[in-house]
Amino acid sequence: MNLRHVAQLVEFIHHLQVVFPLHAIYRLSGEGYEPCCYHRDGTGSENMRDVWIAAAAMTRFGRRSETLEDLMADAALEALREANRQPDGLVVTAMDPEEFVGEGNLASHIGTYIGLSHVPGLRVETATSSGAAALYAGFALIASGFHNHVLVVGGEKMTHVSTPRVSEIISRVIDPHERSYGATMPALAGLVTRAALAKGLFTEMDMARVAVKNHAHGARNPYAHFQQPVTLEEVMGSRLIADPLRLQHCCPISDGAGAVVLTSDPTGLKLAGMGQGSDYLAIRYRSSLTGFRATQDAAIAAFKMADFGPERVQVAEIHDAFAPFEILALEDTGLFPPGRATRAIQNGELTLEGRLPVNPSGGLNARGHALAATGLAQVVELVWQLTGRAVGRQVKATVGLAHSIGGMATNNWVTLVEQVA
Amino acid sequence: METIAASRCPDCGWVVAPPARVCPRHPVEMTPVEISGYGSVLSYTTLTVVPEGFKPPLHIAVVELPGGARIFCHGKETRALRIGRRVAIEQVDGIFYFANLGVADRVSLFWKRRGAAPERTRDAVKSAIKRFFDVYKRPSGETNPPAEDKNQTSEEEKNHRPAEKR
Repeated sequence: MNLRHVAQLVEFIHHLQVVFPLHAIYRLSGEGYEPCCYHRDGTGSENMRDVWIAAAAMTRFGRRSETLEDLMADAALEALREANRQPDGLVVTAMDPEEFVGEGNLASHIGTYIGLSHVPGLRVETATSSGAAALYAGFALIASGFHNHVLVVGGEKMTHVSTPRVSEIISRVIDPHERSYGATMPALAGLVTRAALAKGLFTEMDMARVAVKNHAHGARNPYAHFQQPVTLEEVMGSRLIADPLRLQHCCPISDGAGAVVLTSDPTGLKLAGMGQGSDYLAIRYRSSLTGFRATQDAAIAAFKMADFGPERVQVAEIHDAFAPFEILALEDTGLFPPGRATRAIQNGELTLEGRLPVNPSGGLNARGHALAATGLAQVVELVWQLTGRAVGRQVKATVGLAHSIGGMATNNWVTLVEQVA
Repeated sequence: METIAASRCPDCGWVVAPPARVCPRHPVEMTPVEISGYGSVLSYTTLTVVPEGFKPPLHIAVVELPGGARIFCHGKETRALRIGRRVAIEQVDGIFYFANLGVADRVSLFWKRRGAAPERTRDAVKSAIKRFFDVYKRPSGETNPPAEDKNQTSEEEKNHRPAEKR
């Protein structure tokens, strides 16, 4: 046994730990959660300041006539009014304002538009999870002590562009080889869903149940893009987009904006943990199509930072850009043990009245998906749910989880918000 | 039998296609290799809403080739396709196509591609001739192609860092 074998053995053991981290969460949750291996050891809480949410606001999602600047200003100004604090840092995000609205230098542009040109600003972008990434940047700016109050604002305006063009712009987040074969986001999601169906992880009926549930929630959310419930028959009967995905499984193209003010002052609403996970841009490089490593890594990092396990989460906002992704994410984040999420959906455990309400806002499926605004809108919904302001769809919760997917799960985020008494 | 240009990592031995300069797993330059164009279907879909430059319905499959390389490819239809089924890959003008297609299928498939009419005619004729002379031979060691892979997971688990947990 030479040095090479030893190195291989060490690598193998390392892989084992990477393969089963969520099982570890499950076994250890409740009795002092301690993940076995995570490279972010060292960024201990003793070096970091706690980060609190001072205010959160969003615009209604949907087909909006306002400009991107106005949508972002609406959300930002409302959040600033509520926060009653002068921000000393600004994080702006939009996924592709250059293509959708022809604007660049966005941090300065939006900073000037909302009267904060004197505040140091930067723009953050990680495809469709840009909102969560911007929040992470704001989080880091405060945790590090660089700033005390940071305004995070994100928005997207794209309904004025034709659907094939929007599809083409969004598909630039896909690997060039895969894109050259006509792969769009629904196409890749169709491939993932087909593989998951073949494995028996869920059925087409379960996918439809997710869409029905989220539309039912959206019908009670005045900020949602779709405010009408749909039936199982309507979902199953809607036209195929990327076999086996149907129109009602897919999120709409929406306009909208969201804003969150973060602060170092304890406000009672703590940004308890944030984690990022990443994966190959090309889905053909991945060893598995039916689970997202990026989500798993993000969840582990977030729970480690928060120092509690998935069992404390009482409400979740999941990135259901395609209905089956909600089922995959519930297990990837550790909220359900492998193979249990489908039963939860069948039993109605994920409805507003259920054991763990998932996507009370309607999710991307019904609230809508305004790209960079989505990651922030999820956190806005959690803030409203935890502070009792989710009129018409209020659930009882003190800990909420938001999960955001960037690209085809290349750059994912898990955010934990906790109401501290 | 079609061979496909790929690249192999000198460190971990992973093969990717089309060839990449650097191994996606770690920053090591890859060396070019050729692999046989015969593999099993990992997943497939049919797009009815297609991006600019394509015509619906667009059939896309992900096929795993020897050595673990996976490629995207087009096809005539996915109706008879199943995950784990073995298919042959044919390459025309840098575009991969799966399955053993008939002459008529080839002509119509290439006709639907983007590009000028003369090029499309040339591709279609080229492919039809290829089919006629039956270039489509199995590799020597593989006279009886294995039946459909019953357990796809076993293939996945062989790979590096399976994020799979089910």
